[in-house]
Amino acid sequence: MIEGLMIGINTAFSGYNIIMVMMGCFAGTIIGMLPGLGPMSAIALMIPITYGFDPASAMILMAGVYYGAIFGGSTSSILINAPGVAGTVSSSFDGYPMAKNGQAGKALAIAAYASFSGGTIAALFLLVAAPQLAKVSLSFQSADYFALMCVGLLSIAAFASKGQFLKAMIMTAFGLALATVGQDSLSDITRFHFDNINLMDGISFVLLVMATFAMSEAFMIIFKKMDVSFSASDVSKEKLGSIKLSKSEVKEMVPVVGRTSVLGFLVGVLPGAGATIASFLAWGFERSIAKAKEKLKFGKGSIKGLAAPETANNAACTGSFVPLLTLGIPGSGTTAVMLGALLSFGVQPGPRLYIEQPEIFWSIIISMYIGNVVLLVLNLPLIPYIARILAIPKNLLVPLVLFFSVTGVYLISFNSFDIYFMAVVALISLVLRILNYPMPPLILGFILGGMLEKNLRRALLINDGSFSFMWERPISLTLFIIMIVIILLQIYQGIQKKQS
Amino acid sequence: MTINYTKISALVFLLIFLVYSYLAGEIEVFAFDEHADFNARTFPKFISYLGIVVSFLTLVLSRGEDDEPFGQFEWLKVFVLFVLVFTYGVIIKSVGFFLSTNLFLLVSYYYLGVRSYKVLLFCSFPVAASLQFMLHGLLDVYIRDPFLEFLGVIS
Repeated sequence: MIEGLMIGINTAFSGYNIIMVMMGCFAGTIIGMLPGLGPMSAIALMIPITYGFDPASAMILMAGVYYGAIFGGSTSSILINAPGVAGTVSSSFDGYPMAKNGQAGKALAIAAYASFSGGTIAALFLLVAAPQLAKVSLSFQSADYFALMCVGLLSIAAFASKGQFLKAMIMTAFGLALATVGQDSLSDITRFHFDNINLMDGISFVLLVMATFAMSEAFMIIFKKMDVSFSASDVSKEKLGSIKLSKSEVKEMVPVVGRTSVLGFLVGVLPGAGATIASFLAWGFERSIAKAKEKLKFGKGSIKGLAAPETANNAACTGSFVPLLTLGIPGSGTTAVMLGALLSFGVQPGPRLYIEQPEIFWSIIISMYIGNVVLLVLNLPLIPYIARILAIPKNLLVPLVLFFSVTGVYLISFNSFDIYFMAVVALISLVLRILNYPMPPLILGFILGGMLEKNLRRALLINDGSFSFMWERPISLTLFIIMIVIILLQIYQGIQKKQS
Repeated sequence: MTINYTKISALVFLLIFLVYSYLAGEIEVFAFDEHADFNARTFPKFISYLGIVVSFLTLVLSRGEDDEPFGQFEWLKVFVLFVLVFTYGVIIKSVGFFLSTNLFLLVSYYYLGVRSYKVLLFCSFPVAASLQFMLHGLLDVYIRDPFLEFLGVIS
């Protein structure tokens, strides 16, 4: 472990990779700040740029973008009550009232310190937990992996569905179906290509992510007449006020940060959960344990109410890397995009990554510390200037997002068919989003589809075509019980919703 | 049974998965694989069963409480942008990256209401030029560009 850690430090602290983290944090902050464009779009836009990079540098850049996007989302939540990212919605509960009371600078500082602390504490947990889990997961067999992926798909459908589990499951099945287009990995038989040469290699992951997130988001801004721009005076330096915190304010924050970073990390590790759930849970948790007098302050500019979700969402971001790096199974939609990126670099995350490519495994973990420092030291003082991006009008923003999405896909394949296909997919995604079909289950289904088929094939061949592995192996059995519990819980919630 | 947008979409998905299921059965497999425990048809078949079940349940159980009326949205603008993206795809190979990108950005900005020439020019030419320079000059990524080749800017 020490040797791996040293390799990671060496890789992450190279001048090139430090620049990658800084660029990632900076770009992520800008993109995350724009309402509508979250970390998934931000990372998707980065994928084509990183194609010439080595995998470690690319992942370091993307991890920086992830943190930056969450930080940027908090900024727009606090300053203009327009969360750029779902994970920062709860930050606006107390952050925006603080900003309205002339304490915007202080609110941003609290958010930055809380994010830094949450991210750093969670990175420490990751440092300890990831290698242990990687060792445990070496005992996993194909059947267990198959079961684990099914749990991941079900839970992301359950969490992302916002009460519409069946719609999320349709999207999961649709994503899995899209993954079967092209060549079958074992038999080399091409499936569902409709005699179109462009589909014989399958659908490009970057194309799908860009179309369903970045491009459809741009269409959505126009479609819903969303006014995403704000006047520069709303985010001027004069309006922000001081960013200094008093001793008593720091004292108030410390226990909150301690509690919610543990909570956030644990929620982040769970497949399907993520920054959004962690931040809401943390805000609710802190409110429930607060004294009666303090409780009244929640929602009106409470320091605890702002520090809790900010700590938890960053801790959850770090936590979501645990299943990605150790099991090769993404814990959230964003890490699903990262998994796709890793696979396109020829890197297979999972327990072997820790042993075979320690430089990638450890450098990502170390870069998280660097990323948190960058956000605190560089981005916080620059916020009054970065926040001016919010003043970009939508009639300039939308064509630029469309252009970067198209170029990103075109530069990988140099194939015009990809542009046509992407535009069609974006239009379909737009309609599906209007109908409340969530997109993360589609992406996760698409990414896990190939692996799911491979593991199911192995499990069935080992068991002579019998599904008995479901109850014969303790790990698989436990995971299938979890699946049943998730389904029953969704049915119960559905019945309750109907009755109410 | 009342009709709502969710039911219509669920019906569409049901049809898609039924067709998918049929096509999955039509996948040609090797003769020795025909009766194997797992072949190229097996997984698509499982997916189609899952898809058929969930879309059928959605069709039956949905009450469409969360459906938004479609009429209030900017359909035309989105369609025009879609056509612009499509056209960008059509011309990018024949006229090249630089010119097609500038045309796409200029027309899109103008269509969305930008009228200042300074803004139009400042937000298109430098964007396309800097990206082309970054790719061509710095990262050594070749982009076919007949227009710039004709002008002699790139070889």
